[in-house]
Amino acid sequence: MTEFTLPPKPKKTAWQKMRPYLIGIILLAIYIWTFSSIEIRWSRVFSQHTVESLTRVIPQLFSPDWSAFGKVMGLMWETLLMAYTGTLMAAILAVPFGFFAASNMVKNKFLNTASKWALNAIRAFPELVLALMFVAAVGPRPFAGVIAIAIGSIGMLGKLYSEVIESIDMNVVEALEANGANKLQVLFYGIIPQIIPEFLSYAIYRFEIDVRASTILGIIGAGGIGTLITIATTNRNWSEVGLILVVIIAVVTLIDIVSAQIRKRLV
Amino acid sequence: MIEFKDISLVYPNGTQGLKNVNIQINPGEFVVVVGLSGAGKSTLIRSINRLVTPTHGELLIDQENILNYRARDLRKLRTKVGMIFQNYNLVKRSSVMKNVISGRLGYTGTLRSLFNLYPKEDMALAYRSLERVNISEKLYQRSDQLSGGQQQRVAIARVLTQQPNIILADEPVASLDPPTSHQVMTYLRKVNKEDHITTIVNLHFIDMAMEYADRIIGMRAGEVVYDGPVSEVCEATFEEIYGRKIRDEDRVGGSDDA
Repeated sequence: MTEFTLPPKPKKTAWQKMRPYLIGIILLAIYIWTFSSIEIRWSRVFSQHTVESLTRVIPQLFSPDWSAFGKVMGLMWETLLMAYTGTLMAAILAVPFGFFAASNMVKNKFLNTASKWALNAIRAFPELVLALMFVAAVGPRPFAGVIAIAIGSIGMLGKLYSEVIESIDMNVVEALEANGANKLQVLFYGIIPQIIPEFLSYAIYRFEIDVRASTILGIIGAGGIGTLITIATTNRNWSEVGLILVVIIAVVTLIDIVSAQIRKRLV
Repeated sequence: MIEFKDISLVYPNGTQGLKNVNIQINPGEFVVVVGLSGAGKSTLIRSINRLVTPTHGELLIDQENILNYRARDLRKLRTKVGMIFQNYNLVKRSSVMKNVISGRLGYTGTLRSLFNLYPKEDMALAYRSLERVNISEKLYQRSDQLSGGQQQRVAIARVLTQQPNIILADEPVASLDPPTSHQVMTYLRKVNKEDHITTIVNLHFIDMAMEYADRIIGMRAGEVVYDGPVSEVCEATFEEIYGRKIRDEDRVGGSDDA
């Protein structure tokens, strides 16, 4: 039996050999720099004070105050409605963005790139920042939160929509054009049947994200359960905070499960 | 009648798709275009409904040069020229009926078609087309639930619903197994004979070309290198068209059990 030998490996240049070590050193330097600049005062973290507040707060968090249940559920419902309205607005408004940003639909390079950039620009704003702006503009009410959710979601949905459109089977479009269909007919017979399930699936997924996002928005006065979190924490009413957390976790989990089920059936 | 008058086509990237093609195809003929892949078969038949546009020459259909056609004329031309593709190109998530009725889109106003308001005769025509390719029982199924051969039959029904004068088939059996291939070709020929629809089919299997064609056009490197009735074609002709010896893979086989 002859011994089998692999062909020799290609020679590495000095740079290729050095590169992994260099990357390691740079990463290490960044860690050291960040930890040294945030100035953690370990003596305060492990002080008597911390231990005392923890022993006071944590047991209260774990004994939720069920007497506030009605109030909390009412605001949770408002939170869900905010997320629903915001997502619905975005799911519809993102459709034209998706088409304009899809390179197989809009052949005009300028329009195409401009829409892609617009979507990127929208996505650069966190919901909280958008909500701050709208609270300032329309006042501290749920409407501000709805608009913030809607605009924040357009960025992501528009981008995902455009990717769905770019991945459709263009041969079907060609076939419809080849039997004399006009542009609108091609849209309704060839394109929409291909994209509807994915569009819905992404919109539902975004609703999940928006429910989580809108629980926070109330903290800055944009409506929903977040308002109650602020009030309860400033009053150090930890057992109510505990209840709010329980409700949020339960509702978000429920919505995740339901949405996953629906999405599995759609595609 | 379809006439190619000195047609050439150069793609934007510089590839020569067609080179000085001069052919005439008579009404009701069943023409098979053969050649290796890249020989220009697809370009030739896609020129006839202007999915690609030749860059030189004249292409006459019933004495009219279709190369001058713009949007509206083009759609009118395409309603009269049906096309069948290698990958069937059905809308997979739509029902068989919806796919077949889409053959009427060129005849139907935009609003009517968006709200599915087809005249009764059109629905009847669509159903009859499905019956003609023996697949009417699948009417309400989603088309992605059908097998490849069934999908191609639905594609034929869609074309029939167009009531075309010409049917173009671009490698219609290249994704099918031999028995199914023969079935699909048999339906194509039946339609050609019964309705006198001029039919132009791209194939690369020589035995299949011999079995179904009235006339064979051979292409190599964008040029028509052979054109004649099937009775005059023999294996040497194909060797000339392909520019090499005939191999086993050039035959599909299975014609007897079709």
